[in-house]
Amino acid sequence: VSSRATNVSTSGFLRVSHSRTHSRSINASMSRRSFSLAGDGRVLEKAPMQPARVFDENGTDVTPQPLYRPDPAAVPPRQSKILMAQDVSGATFSDFFSSAFHTTYASFGGPFTRSLFESSIVSKSSQSTMESLNEEIEEPSSKREGIISLSDVQVRREEVKEPTTEDVLNKKVDIHLTETETLCLLDIPATSVSVESEEAEIVKQRNAAYTELCKNRMGNDKYVERAMQTFNGAPKAKEVQTKSITKVDAAITATNWDIYDTLSGTGVEGASCLQKQENFSLPASSSSSRTEMEVFLVPVEDAPAPEVILYSEKFQQDLLVMEKVVLQNIFQPKLAAYRQLPILKDPDSTQKPKDTGKTEKQIQKTEDIPSSPALEPLWSFTCELTVGRNVSSMTWNKMNPDLLAVGYGHFDFEDQKSGLVCCWSLKNLKWPDRIFHCESAVTALDFSGHNGCLLAVGMHNGSIATYNVQSKEKTPITDSSEYPHKHTGPVWQVKWVSQERAHSEEEKGEALVSVSADGRICKWVLKKDLDCLVIWREVPGLCFDFHPEDSNIYLTGTEEGFIHKCSCSYNEQYLETYKEHKGPVYQITWSPFSPDVFLSCSSDWTIQLWRQDLLEPVLVFTSPCMAVFDVAWSPKWATVFGVVTEKRLEIWDLGASILDPTIVQDARPGVKLTSLQFASESDCILLGDSDGQVGVYQLNLNLGEGTQVDVLEDIIRSTLASQL
Amino acid sequence: MAEVEETLKRIQSQKGVQGIIIINAEGIPIKSTLDNSSTVQYAGLLHQLVMKTRSTVRDLDPQNDLTFLRVRSKKNEIMIAPDKDYFLIVIQNPSD
Repeated sequence: VSSRATNVSTSGFLRVSHSRTHSRSINASMSRRSFSLAGDGRVLEKAPMQPARVFDENGTDVTPQPLYRPDPAAVPPRQSKILMAQDVSGATFSDFFSSAFHTTYASFGGPFTRSLFESSIVSKSSQSTMESLNEEIEEPSSKREGIISLSDVQVRREEVKEPTTEDVLNKKVDIHLTETETLCLLDIPATSVSVESEEAEIVKQRNAAYTELCKNRMGNDKYVERAMQTFNGAPKAKEVQTKSITKVDAAITATNWDIYDTLSGTGVEGASCLQKQENFSLPASSSSSRTEMEVFLVPVEDAPAPEVILYSEKFQQDLLVMEKVVLQNIFQPKLAAYRQLPILKDPDSTQKPKDTGKTEKQIQKTEDIPSSPALEPLWSFTCELTVGRNVSSMTWNKMNPDLLAVGYGHFDFEDQKSGLVCCWSLKNLKWPDRIFHCESAVTALDFSGHNGCLLAVGMHNGSIATYNVQSKEKTPITDSSEYPHKHTGPVWQVKWVSQERAHSEEEKGEALVSVSADGRICKWVLKKDLDCLVIWREVPGLCFDFHPEDSNIYLTGTEEGFIHKCSCSYNEQYLETYKEHKGPVYQITWSPFSPDVFLSCSSDWTIQLWRQDLLEPVLVFTSPCMAVFDVAWSPKWATVFGVVTEKRLEIWDLGASILDPTIVQDARPGVKLTSLQFASESDCILLGDSDGQVGVYQLNLNLGEGTQVDVLEDIIRSTLASQL
Repeated sequence: MAEVEETLKRIQSQKGVQGIIIINAEGIPIKSTLDNSSTVQYAGLLHQLVMKTRSTVRDLDPQNDLTFLRVRSKKNEIMIAPDKDYFLIVIQNPSD
């Protein structure tokens, strides 16, 4: 500690009223709070507690005003506590230096830092004197700053909110609105005073005094003009060079779907679409900006390679759809006829109307006159796969009436090619939707009623397979070829029968019944495996049909020409036997409208109409002079049924005539007809032949709206009456 | 793989089909049964048309998307199946 007797080099206005002998040692310790000037201190310092005042000779107060005057009113009360705690009065040497720092960032610290030095008064003029001292105590001050900042931090930490929980969110919070104290941000005192105010006189006097002073300044010895020269730093030019700033124009069209895409998270797609969009909106731009856009295209994912596209699954599906569309275009009039829609003529058609085609006038005429019953060919389902194969059975899908399954296979023992099942759709007339290759010729088909995707296939070698047409798989779900109890002869018919009367819950559902040449009628139930329940033995049956209302009763036709009525519950005995046919009975079918009536056809050239309570046929139709392979009732009219022989298709309408068929259609030369199917939703007939074609014909019978059940009943009654 | 070729051949052999063009997402033809100049012309024009159509459909309802586009004109019909990665275009004259 050295005593410093500093020469006070102020402007000489100081009146040092203390003696010079006394020297005061200045303690550099922090504990020093203040030091009074009144006394021996030679150091010109302004103690904050007793602000020194400087007077000139005349007694005017010319104390240099501090440049920094913290506003004591702006201190938050909290801060004073911290000040106390740290025992900082701010009135020591270090404060001056550090406060200099703080003044610079008083704006950052805000009330915190300012408050620390609220009581300090900085005197710039005296700083130079204390610099050396301050260096020593600079560090502690900085430490203190650290402490202060720590305290700030601590304070701030207390403010950290507790993690918001549900309860906190749901709690009712009171919000008080209070008016803060007025913060004075800028205060420019007025430089003009109203003439009428109280101060006016004083101000006027002062103003007058000042003007006097100014006047007296001229030529007064007290005022000396003095010139000063300032140092001007030498200016220096400095150059900086930067890389040219590349500017790029970016534009975007925000479409509705673009926003939706980005929001829903398919951002990548959105971005790439964006790029494409930008790529697209550029066609008119200059070449330079196009190169810039190409730079943008780089981050976008590359378009997949052509091979990947061409062989992708989606592409194959699209191709199939496209094929259907193209075919629909070609076959539109035929499909319209099938759906019983009016056939519209293409207004842009460049073709001249054909001779056989009717002109508009004629069409109108024919609508008025009921035309004679006719079969109009629409199209035929055929493709290169099926050419040469014998159509053995056809069945419509129960759930989707536009789906047709056709089984191809020869009936004879020689010439055994492998079998084929094709699922044709009305949407694609040229190629089947599904193709299943079977090991042996297909002889029977049926779609399940409960599960529309299940297709049961009966084959020539006695095995029965079920396929799921929904999947693209080519293999059957179940196959009975490994089954020990499988049929040993060709399966002539399969049918899904829904079991209403079930013994237990498990048996409800559907069972597959099959009749085969080995003499058994089996009921297959799909539990875990295919389980077979033999309903009948020793029946070389060719066909069967379950009663439409009672699923326990069924009819079966045999090779001997008998028709047996059997029940599932009685395994040993027939309920009835109808013996009339002289040859194997190829088909039996119950009438869909009249519950007691059924038709049977056989190779003895006859078709017979029976009523189940009579052992003699009600009607016998002998028109075809050859074996009748198939007979089917029309789903729409009770009196109409179709008959297929080897060479002819006959449509009978009992209401019109019971002796002759209403429509007769000969087969194409060289082709044998094999099977017949009516369409349920349309007036069309499907005819399968031995060349693999399934022809679709439209039936125009003009029979009116009703089902004609009463007509059928009348005919039967009158026939019976006439027989008696 | 072979199925794709078969289906393409079947479509090509249907009555009235004048051409099949497959273009990728950028409008560059991958496969075509028409001559080069027609292909390029169809590709360029139809690409823009499909983009516009798709934008329209999606603007009306962002959850919707374009699945098929048919342009019927006096002389023929252009059928376009658009996808994220490609466009399948078939030109047909059904009254041929």
